Amino acid sequence: MQHKFKHWSIYTLGDHAIVFALAAKMDVAILNKLKYLNEFITSKKIKGILDIIPSYHTLTIVYDISTFLTRTENANEQLQLFSDKLLKEFENTFTDEKELHDNFENHLIKVPVCYENIFALDIENICNQNKLSSAEIIQLHTAKIYDVYSIGFLPGFTYMGMVDEKINIARHPTPRNEVPAGSVGIAGFQTGIYPINCPGGWQIIGKTPWKIFDPNPTQLAKFKVGDRVQFYAISIEEFNNLNEYAK
Amino acid sequence: MSIKILHKGLADSLQDNGRYGFQHLGIPPNGCMDILSASLANYILQNEINTPVVELHFPSSQFQFLEDAIICVTGANFVPVINEKSIALHTPIRVQKNDVLSMLQPLEGCIAYLAIKGTYDAPLWLNSHSYNATRLNTNDLLSFSAAESYDANTANQLNDVLNLELIEKIQTNLFSNNTPIRILPGPAWQDLSPTAINELMSSSFTISTQRNRMGYHLLGPPLNLNIPNAYLSSAVTMGTLQLLPNGNVIVLMADHQTIGGYANLAQIILVDLPRFAQMKSGVSFKLNITNLETAQTLYKEMYAPFKY
Repeated sequence: MQHKFKHWSIYTLGDHAIVFALAAKMDVAILNKLKYLNEFITSKKIKGILDIIPSYHTLTIVYDISTFLTRTENANEQLQLFSDKLLKEFENTFTDEKELHDNFENHLIKVPVCYENIFALDIENICNQNKLSSAEIIQLHTAKIYDVYSIGFLPGFTYMGMVDEKINIARHPTPRNEVPAGSVGIAGFQTGIYPINCPGGWQIIGKTPWKIFDPNPTQLAKFKVGDRVQFYAISIEEFNNLNEYAK
Repeated sequence: MSIKILHKGLADSLQDNGRYGFQHLGIPPNGCMDILSASLANYILQNEINTPVVELHFPSSQFQFLEDAIICVTGANFVPVINEKSIALHTPIRVQKNDVLSMLQPLEGCIAYLAIKGTYDAPLWLNSHSYNATRLNTNDLLSFSAAESYDANTANQLNDVLNLELIEKIQTNLFSNNTPIRILPGPAWQDLSPTAINELMSSSFTISTQRNRMGYHLLGPPLNLNIPNAYLSSAVTMGTLQLLPNGNVIVLMADHQTIGGYANLAQIILVDLPRFAQMKSGVSFKLNITNLETAQTLYKEMYAPFKY
């Protein structure tokens, strides 16, 4: 099944998932809209939904074949009716884009990052390639408010954008064998945080003392898609005081 | 009550039907690679269908039972023996204290399940016993509860009501290697060149030796996209065929990442995933396009005995 409803594309992903997609770009208006669609669908408590996964311009619903659709005949037709009805109702409920945006002002998470050399494994590399001083890189990285566009790759790995064009830098051609947990990196126009020690190719400019992912069921991922994030620079002393890994 | 791991296997782990509801945080479902065989094992032992089972890859772990138990082995035929005496597959088997269970040889398929009457006692993490990274290790003790008391006759009683027709149907489904693997086209299908679509549908693909619980690499003709596309990452599922930049295809399996940015070509339908998971390295198969109705109807039919 693949069809359109206004500016939405709706298509099936295999035999047990359906995707709601907007224009394929990193755009905060798209992100907001999907966040509200996610909340709208969640609030309806639809039987058989196993997962709702937002990522950039898509929202994917994974469902249980046995309980989501009442019949198997005309499954495509049923899914089309389901999605059209859902989107029609959603579009009628959320028309005021400005109100959506104002709501988001409340969700700014300020994240401490130590940009000192012991953690900023690649900052010299960016200084050389992008012709900037460390101070300029830190200033540019902390000046902007980023949106969380996606979580994945690893539990809690946070994809945020977009960084200032001046600090845009490609990934390492060969990934580093181990990037320490909490490392903050840049890949192209995205910035992100590594949740655990793992191999990785992002250009590392600092480290947060926060545990980005904690398997404790009451904690789990520190961020979710749609959150707004701003980094601020801290010293090594402050890092040590805030270090959640040391606890 | 417990079972001791005398020697660890290649990648054996405790699994159930997996974890849903956390993929938005990047937490994958995990769970059994061949849910059909795992469900069958619990069905035969009259356990709850989602009871955890031990998933065995070859070479498999060697187990010693420290108490009497009733077990059932399903899925691949690794030639299971108890104290060097061979035992039947998909059959309730009574084992006694100090018995040793070994798997001799991967005759057919590549994933077997060891279920126990009752349940393994392992902590749940986010509603599931499946943990991405945890493997059984030499000297581990796997504790279990018999749930209800049973005596020497219980295995016989379970044996008397064995649904042979269902077992036959499942085994035929799992090991009919010449049947094509059925897919539904995915979002990047439209970006394949006509030549690539033709090659994808007419060629044989072979399961590579590069395979694990995260994904199976396929050997086949290198495929090209019409446009060198960069995709924004979006959700993927077990059974997703991703086209890598080098033209090769990888099929995502139970421990897949929650999102992917490679070209998402197609999805293997759920009912064919256990059969695909059981294919050994070197086995070749063809792809076949089906439709949503067929996929869902076949799934419901196959799993109907387990939904009660």
